[in-house]
Amino acid sequence: MSFLQVQGLGKRYGDAVALEDVDLSVRAGSRTAIVGRSGSGKTTLLRIVAGFETADRGRILLDGRPLVEAGTMVPAHRRGIGYVPQDGALFPHLSIADNIAFGLERNDPTRRTRILELLEAVELDRQMLERRPHELSGGQQQRVALARALARKPALMLLDEPFSALDTGLRDSLRRTVARVLCEADIATILVTHDQAEALSFADQVAVMREGRLTQAGPPQELYHRPRDRETATFLGDAIILPAEVENGWASCSLGRLAVAGGPRRGAAEIMLRPEQLRLVVDHDHAANGGDGGSMGWGRVVDVEFGGSVCKVAVTLGNAPGQPAPLLLRHSSMDLPRIGSRVRIHVQGEAHLFDTPLS
Amino acid sequence: MLAVTSLVAALALMPLTFVVWITVQTGWDTVVELVFRRRVGELLGNTLLLVLLTLPLSVVVAVTLAWLTERSDLPGRRFWAWLAVAPLAVPAFVHSYAWVTVAPGLHGLAAAVLVSVLAYSPFLYLPVAAQLRRLDPTMEDVAASLGHGPWRVFLTVVLPQLRVAVYGGCLLIGLHLLAEYGLYVMIQFDTFTTAIVDQFQSAYNGPAANMLAGVLVLLCMGLMGGEALLRGQERYARVGSGAARQAAPTKLGRATLPCLVIPLLFAALSLGVPMLTLGRWLAIGGARIWQGADIGSAILQTVALALAGALLTTLAAAPMAWLSVRAPGRLQRVLEACHYYVGSLPGVVVALALVTITVRVALPLYQTVGTVLLAYMLLFLPRALVGLRASIAQAPVELERAAMALGRTPLQAVRQITFRLAAPGAAASMAMVALGITNELTATLMLAPSGTRTLATEFWALTSEIDYAGAAPYAVMMVAASLPMTILLHIQSKRAAGR
Amino acid sequence: MKISRSRFVRSLALATALAALPAVALSGSVSAQTAPSADGITVYNAQHASLTKEWVERFTRETGIKVTVRNGSDMELGNQIVQEGAASPADVFLTENSPAMALVDNAGLFATLNAETLAPVPENFRPANGHWAGIAARSTVFAYNTGKLTQDKLPKSLLDLANPEWKGRWAASPAGADFQAIVGALLQLKGEAATASWLKAMKENAKPYRGNSVAMKAVNAGEVEGAVIYHYYYIGDQARTGGENSKNVALHYFRNGDPGAFVSISGAGVLASSKNKREAEAFVKFLTGKGGQEVLRDGDSYEYAVASGVASNPRLEPLDKLQAPKVKPEALNNKAVTDLMTAAGLL
Repeated sequence: MSFLQVQGLGKRYGDAVALEDVDLSVRAGSRTAIVGRSGSGKTTLLRIVAGFETADRGRILLDGRPLVEAGTMVPAHRRGIGYVPQDGALFPHLSIADNIAFGLERNDPTRRTRILELLEAVELDRQMLERRPHELSGGQQQRVALARALARKPALMLLDEPFSALDTGLRDSLRRTVARVLCEADIATILVTHDQAEALSFADQVAVMREGRLTQAGPPQELYHRPRDRETATFLGDAIILPAEVENGWASCSLGRLAVAGGPRRGAAEIMLRPEQLRLVVDHDHAANGGDGGSMGWGRVVDVEFGGSVCKVAVTLGNAPGQPAPLLLRHSSMDLPRIGSRVRIHVQGEAHLFDTPLS
Repeated sequence: MLAVTSLVAALALMPLTFVVWITVQTGWDTVVELVFRRRVGELLGNTLLLVLLTLPLSVVVAVTLAWLTERSDLPGRRFWAWLAVAPLAVPAFVHSYAWVTVAPGLHGLAAAVLVSVLAYSPFLYLPVAAQLRRLDPTMEDVAASLGHGPWRVFLTVVLPQLRVAVYGGCLLIGLHLLAEYGLYVMIQFDTFTTAIVDQFQSAYNGPAANMLAGVLVLLCMGLMGGEALLRGQERYARVGSGAARQAAPTKLGRATLPCLVIPLLFAALSLGVPMLTLGRWLAIGGARIWQGADIGSAILQTVALALAGALLTTLAAAPMAWLSVRAPGRLQRVLEACHYYVGSLPGVVVALALVTITVRVALPLYQTVGTVLLAYMLLFLPRALVGLRASIAQAPVELERAAMALGRTPLQAVRQITFRLAAPGAAASMAMVALGITNELTATLMLAPSGTRTLATEFWALTSEIDYAGAAPYAVMMVAASLPMTILLHIQSKRAAGR
Repeated sequence: MKISRSRFVRSLALATALAALPAVALSGSVSAQTAPSADGITVYNAQHASLTKEWVERFTRETGIKVTVRNGSDMELGNQIVQEGAASPADVFLTENSPAMALVDNAGLFATLNAETLAPVPENFRPANGHWAGIAARSTVFAYNTGKLTQDKLPKSLLDLANPEWKGRWAASPAGADFQAIVGALLQLKGEAATASWLKAMKENAKPYRGNSVAMKAVNAGEVEGAVIYHYYYIGDQARTGGENSKNVALHYFRNGDPGAFVSISGAGVLASSKNKREAEAFVKFLTGKGGQEVLRDGDSYEYAVASGVASNPRLEPLDKLQAPKVKPEALNNKAVTDLMTAAGLL
């Protein structure tokens, strides 16, 4: 039973389409990440759910109650939806305590204890309470913003790129805190982000948006390994996309013959592999070795980029004259091949076949 | 450069020193007799009532107009924004000239408050509108998501963040209320400034005038102290780094028509009345009022005084501006405070000080162009300083170093980089000073060499003889001169807000 | 920083040189009209600017002597001359009323005028010491709103206005030298105690306006029933605008030697410190002579002509019918008046 239902949502700004026919459902207590490049409409979708903007078309139901429907719109302050914006947007004229308690009734007898509870939940020190927002670091500000949004015990929490302004290390720890806090409170959450790694690690449902449309939604693993199209594939991570001839669950391509998932299709198609499926073996003895049973191709190293723990090796596939660009493969910094040397490429697992046939 | 700055600061301290000196000279008994009397009490009451009524009303008017033009979908809001600033192009005493023409019975406190609000609320509108533009609308979204309705969001989130802008604007208006002469004379309302001029006209620089000036200085200081106290250490800068989203205009819906009435009414009262009155007097006066060499000579003298004054003021403010940007420190802050405080003094106090000092001590300077220019410099120092500081900050020292690294000599680097970058801002602050001088009345009346006739003094002389038709061309000239400055001010405030 | 400082000093010098340009232009344009040159005189003028302008234009046309005018009010300029002392840039002082002349004379700053300058002025229009001469006169009147007051309800004497029944009904311009001259006459005629109590009553009864024209406008608009002003504000407005500010106003002359029938004398004198005494004397002689007096008769000042036998403008109530009280103009003491008015809270 889905908790939040978005159906056929549409929004235009003048001639520009911001959202077109967007459907999305979110289960109670789940975590959804909406991911897309800037201008893809993800923030607009979030703002319409929050009630900050109006939709032109479509419906939104929260726990069966219509928030947006033809002709009616529940204003933001009556939706009971929590919201944490990009940089916290703490009220600069109020102390941290007053910021957190902003959504509480003014004469709530439990006010003080609630503030302390919340402060503890977001792992902040009590001595912060009387400070002003500008005296806090960016990460602390975001924690306060989360505490403030939690104070009213919302049924749904919207996070609008709340980690994007932070340093990498801080970002990860804060993301874990947020995930834990929201999970403990059993609050359904929608996170908007342009960072696909963040989306994949945070959510149990990822929705990809592009040019106002929701192109694909599902569990992170499925989206990562089975993207619907080339754009989604490259957006969610590095991808090796090769032209292939498909027949009976096998694809013939420049890497040789690979097993493909995706039904009994045949003919010319594009297949996708994630770089971690490919393993490069430096071919010292020129001996062909089947390795661990995966498929295998040959190539010649044209460039090596040292990068510490993980290095990149550019390889042209010798036996495919039509291959335009060299493949960029990951390799451990140990045992780096020399430029010009011949290498073997092992492929693990199945290649993914895009739904859309080659045009 | 420090020497020049200190000299200017010392000059700036002169009026204050004068008040203290004259108080000591007058003797305590006379001071008590002149200060603690019924008339002073009346003036104090009048002045305080004027300030206490005008400021809240101006805040209401300015915040309403600013919200409508910045945050609502009011039709033609760009146009209304211009009209909200435009009353600044009409000198305050031309406002009252228009009002006493339209409603000859308009006298006393109510009239003074009405005309003051119309003439001065743009001083509040500008910073409030700029702050509204700068405010992060996300905060309002967050407040709404926390269950606060639109009206409560405005009161608890938006309004508190306008506080600093409101205090600043109120201080500016309050200082104008204390310093203005012409407006209140015409509208028949006695304040300290009008009483000082009365005393001056009855007894020149007698002790009674000087003591009133002393009380007036205290009032100015009180106003500034009050503002500093209220403002405290507040800092409402945007927290966080992301670029602020532009606020989506609030849909007025059915309230659109009633809301349109507000800026329309303000424009009608603050612009319509002066323009119609001027038009009427010009029509009645016909060709007669434009004849004679008087207008030409008044324009010429005004332009000459305004240019020379603006240049002198800008040059005097330049070392301070340079130091405060390139070599800030404690001494620099003290000197800067001297530069700023003097601009808050009413023209009548500065003029009174300079009259007494020149006639008693520095007779060769008495009634010279130099003394008037000095008064202008003291009065408009802050205007020049603000603009210059900003424009010098436009040219960080790194740019000069980069130019020198590219083979420019230090002088070339300053000329080609710093001067080029600072020039527009310096020109703008010169223009602001020139505008102030063009509309200055009291100091010019009291200090100018015999035979000096500026647009403002001629306008004043003619209205004093109730030749309102004859005065109209001078008013038109002043408005015409002020218009470009007003436009500049509006554009500057928009740019300062980053849009 | 050291480099940039010296650079700045250099640029400052450059800018100062540039600043000199408009300053030079300024001194050109201003000093052409202001600085007293060898062939010109400086007049401190407290008379109506428009009247003095007419005088000066005619005088310069006749004599070729240039005149620079500094406008101000009686007491402002009078006190200013006293402050300036021997260094005063003024050659001639013109007033609307006598007290400011008395002030400067008592400070010993006037030169004695020549006999032929004084001769055309009747003795009752000049002080006996010959230090200054009357050049024009104005009569105190009670200007009243014809819709609010009738002949029989008018005050018989200026002193009546102190009675409680006049509370809030009349106006004056207490800050002006004109009204202060009237109070000066009251002081000379009735003494200090009577004047002080009259002023105290006035503080309660009268509405203060700034300027006689404004007070008359208030009468015309019915804001008050009457105002103590001078006659020519009414006559001038009737003549110039056909009554724009006075169509509901009529004049009441107190006569009977009442303090309210006081005729105030405008004076002219040459400063002892003047370096252009010949030209200054010529100007005063012109004012007391036919030329200057004809300007009063023919122009639109509507002040009384007092010298050279020139008749006043026919619109005016004849001077000899005013039954003015006998007041010594040289003994009018404005300092005492402003002290009393300050004490009464009027200033």
